[in-house]
Amino acid sequence: MALFLRELSRNFKSFIIWTLILIISNIGLMMMYPMIAEQAGEYNELMKKLPKEMLKGLSMDKLNFAQILDFFAYVFLYIILFGCVYAILLATSIISKEESEKTVEFLMAKPVTRNTIVTAKTLCVFFYITVFNVVFTVADYLAFEALKKSGYDINIFLLMHLGFFLIMITFAAIGLLVSVFIVKAKSIYPVAFGIVLGAFFINITAAISDKLENLKYLTPFKYINPSDIVSSGRIEGVYIIIMAAVTLVSVALTYVFYNRKDICV
Amino acid sequence: MDVRKTADDISITAGDTSIIQGGNRFIACLFFIELYIDYMVNWLYNKLIIDHMVSEIDRREGAGNVNAIEIRNLTKYYGKSRGIIGVSMDVREGEIFGFIGPNGAGKSTTIRTLLSFIFPSGGSAKIFGMDCFRDSEKIKMDIGYLPAEVNYYDDMKVKDLLRYSAKFYRKDCSKRIKELSDIFELDLNKRIDSLSFGNKKKVAIIQSLLHEPRLLLLDEPTGGLDPLMQNKFFEVLREENKRGVTIFFSSHVLSEVQKLCDRVAIIKEGKILRIGEVDELAGDKFKKIKIEFANDETFELPGMVNVQTKDKTMEFLFSGKVDILIKSLAGVKVENLWIEEPSLEEVFMHYYRSEDRN
Repeated sequence: MALFLRELSRNFKSFIIWTLILIISNIGLMMMYPMIAEQAGEYNELMKKLPKEMLKGLSMDKLNFAQILDFFAYVFLYIILFGCVYAILLATSIISKEESEKTVEFLMAKPVTRNTIVTAKTLCVFFYITVFNVVFTVADYLAFEALKKSGYDINIFLLMHLGFFLIMITFAAIGLLVSVFIVKAKSIYPVAFGIVLGAFFINITAAISDKLENLKYLTPFKYINPSDIVSSGRIEGVYIIIMAAVTLVSVALTYVFYNRKDICV
Repeated sequence: MDVRKTADDISITAGDTSIIQGGNRFIACLFFIELYIDYMVNWLYNKLIIDHMVSEIDRREGAGNVNAIEIRNLTKYYGKSRGIIGVSMDVREGEIFGFIGPNGAGKSTTIRTLLSFIFPSGGSAKIFGMDCFRDSEKIKMDIGYLPAEVNYYDDMKVKDLLRYSAKFYRKDCSKRIKELSDIFELDLNKRIDSLSFGNKKKVAIIQSLLHEPRLLLLDEPTGGLDPLMQNKFFEVLREENKRGVTIFFSSHVLSEVQKLCDRVAIIKEGKILRIGEVDELAGDKFKKIKIEFANDETFELPGMVNVQTKDKTMEFLFSGKVDILIKSLAGVKVENLWIEEPSLEEVFMHYYRSEDRN
């Protein structure tokens, strides 16, 4: 418990910063909606002239910018990208930081098992991601209510945010696992960014090319793609199963490997 | 025994003999109460007194047998590079045990294995009779660890860190923190990252002592402390030792080990060279002899080691009998003769060199 509370206070600052930045960016982008909605006809015409591949890659091909949900789906993809960066940075640093800053020597000399350490840290990550998503969803709801020009489907709205939560959890779980192996601050950030950005670009590639379509199974960004949710009204079951499996396996392996690891500082 | 009870009567018979019969309920009741009390007293006696005595005997016998630390054939390789090879030693409860060796000899590796930071490639290690890896959490309740390099959370003040440390032991350590910080003259309100190396070391010392551990694992503990603080630290260690605390003291500075420890183990390149009483290692066995000859003489006897000849003087460590030495010196002309107790340092160098030759 002491460890969990300590982790909460240690990661509080970064939580506040990321939450504020993402909420402000999101609201800032949403403020453009009224203007774009007024000229939606022209925008849609313009869109039709752009190369189809590009629109597909950025998931803009099915969107009608007159609808607030459609516009949001376009903006939201980028918010999700940064949200995932936050999730993976939070998760990768929470375990590896003890080792890179050599404080693990203090911690491990205390009467705690390695399982307790992993549990406290995993719970802290889960806690902050959950709180982040609740706060973000509420703020976004208020923005929607303020800016909407017509009604929207609240279920789809919630589904998109659920997707955001799931993808953050997935990346966080992967981050926990990675940080058992890579502890140097110098190498962990490139790896963390690499995983998220790599997945993002696989998503674009899979959308553009028919041949590479099966790549979509490799990237969580496809699983919860906001424009797909807007057009289909659901997250496919197989994707949820994959995300749940990846999360559970990653966390389980984190426990297994952390218990066997030599802590050298 | 047969007990029969009806609505207004009670009778007890054993075989054919009737013990209580008829309406004498009062006596019957007393009899039952007596039986009940008897049973309870017996039960209590068995449960509490005998169990307690048995466990007390176990404990006493155990206390004699259980070493604070028991290491058997402990081996650790980092990939292919050596950590320690076949280290075995026992540290008795209540002693101050020195662990000497040059940098990279495997001192820290041994301590980190005891704390299960790292897992051995072979062998076993026990603390207070419990396995260092399986029962690590339990063992650590009773261990204070002082690392060679002190690294703490940079967002904490000294008192935050000490309080955080205390929380793990579920104990109120505030009094002890106050005491120790007074002894070491440490300001609890400073941020840890603003402290000098020596002051960080003080934080680490307090941190290792605040929960009143039974075993202290000290890895190069005096680095960074000024002589005054070192003395205070040694005083605190002696006091702790008087209360029965076992101290495992790793160092490459021999004089401090000599000052403090009862027994020492010498480690080199991952292997234990010797384990023994400090006095025995240093004094009893060797004499430091220096002879100044009148002429260019040479001189040889069994038991001479580390011989250094310079002009007419000769210096060596001698493990034979002094009497034999004196008698064999009678044949040569001696200008001057010194016989001294060698410092541990010199003995230590001898062990190292002889190991090299082998």
